[in-house]
Amino acid sequence: MHEGTTLPEDSNTGGPDARGRFTSRILRGGTEPDPRFTLANERTFLAWIRTALALLAGGVAVEAFMADLLGPGLRKTIAVLLLVLALVIGGGSFFRWLNVERAMRSKTPLPLPLIAPVLAIGGALVAAIMVVFVIARPA
Amino acid sequence: MASAPAAAQHGDSGLQPERTDLAWSRTTLAMVAAAAVFLRWLPHHGWFVGTLVGGAIVTALAINFTQKRRFRRAVRGINQESMPPNIGSTAAVAASVVILAALGIYTVLFLPLQP
Repeated sequence: MHEGTTLPEDSNTGGPDARGRFTSRILRGGTEPDPRFTLANERTFLAWIRTALALLAGGVAVEAFMADLLGPGLRKTIAVLLLVLALVIGGGSFFRWLNVERAMRSKTPLPLPLIAPVLAIGGALVAAIMVVFVIARPA
Repeated sequence: MASAPAAAQHGDSGLQPERTDLAWSRTTLAMVAAAAVFLRWLPHHGWFVGTLVGGAIVTALAINFTQKRRFRRAVRGINQESMPPNIGSTAAVAASVVILAALGIYTVLFLPLQP
């Protein structure tokens, strides 16, 4: 092939070919895995997204419903913690999905989920703050 | 199953297209539930919360209206034993959650509670 010439499949700009090229660049090549694995990865991504949405709703609920119970400082801290956790899990779930997809295409071992310990530590932190609050609160 | 449309027929005993379709549906419902919880903020934080409610509703509707397309794509993928991953849908939903969370953090930190 000569410099400057384009492959026949690269000659179209715009349309499905350009989209396919964009997709394969993001996925860093490789071969399509079993479509069942691709669909399983998609469902796992959605499970993470729903977890993020639960954290999001939880953060909003703490700020909206616990005004009588928690002081403004503690309420804000817990709400922001939950919302930051929702942001990190929501964003991280996409990269988790992408990394699993890349690993399946290149037939390398699946990467460990980094968002799992983030969720565990974040959730434990919020729970610990609430436990301390319940114990320390005058009866 | 002879009466089912050809586009919806597949030979996957694991029912992968259907399970994936339902996973998207559950995500839509979670999005609507989040929008409902955001509504609780409306009297306390003012009109800005409308962007959160609206954002969640628009995302839920967008997922809902693209369900059939994704299901057909999954069936075609199973039948052809090859399927490109759905980057568009996953990136859009993840971006929506990130934006909603960022708007929520902004609301808690910078919009004071109105009496």
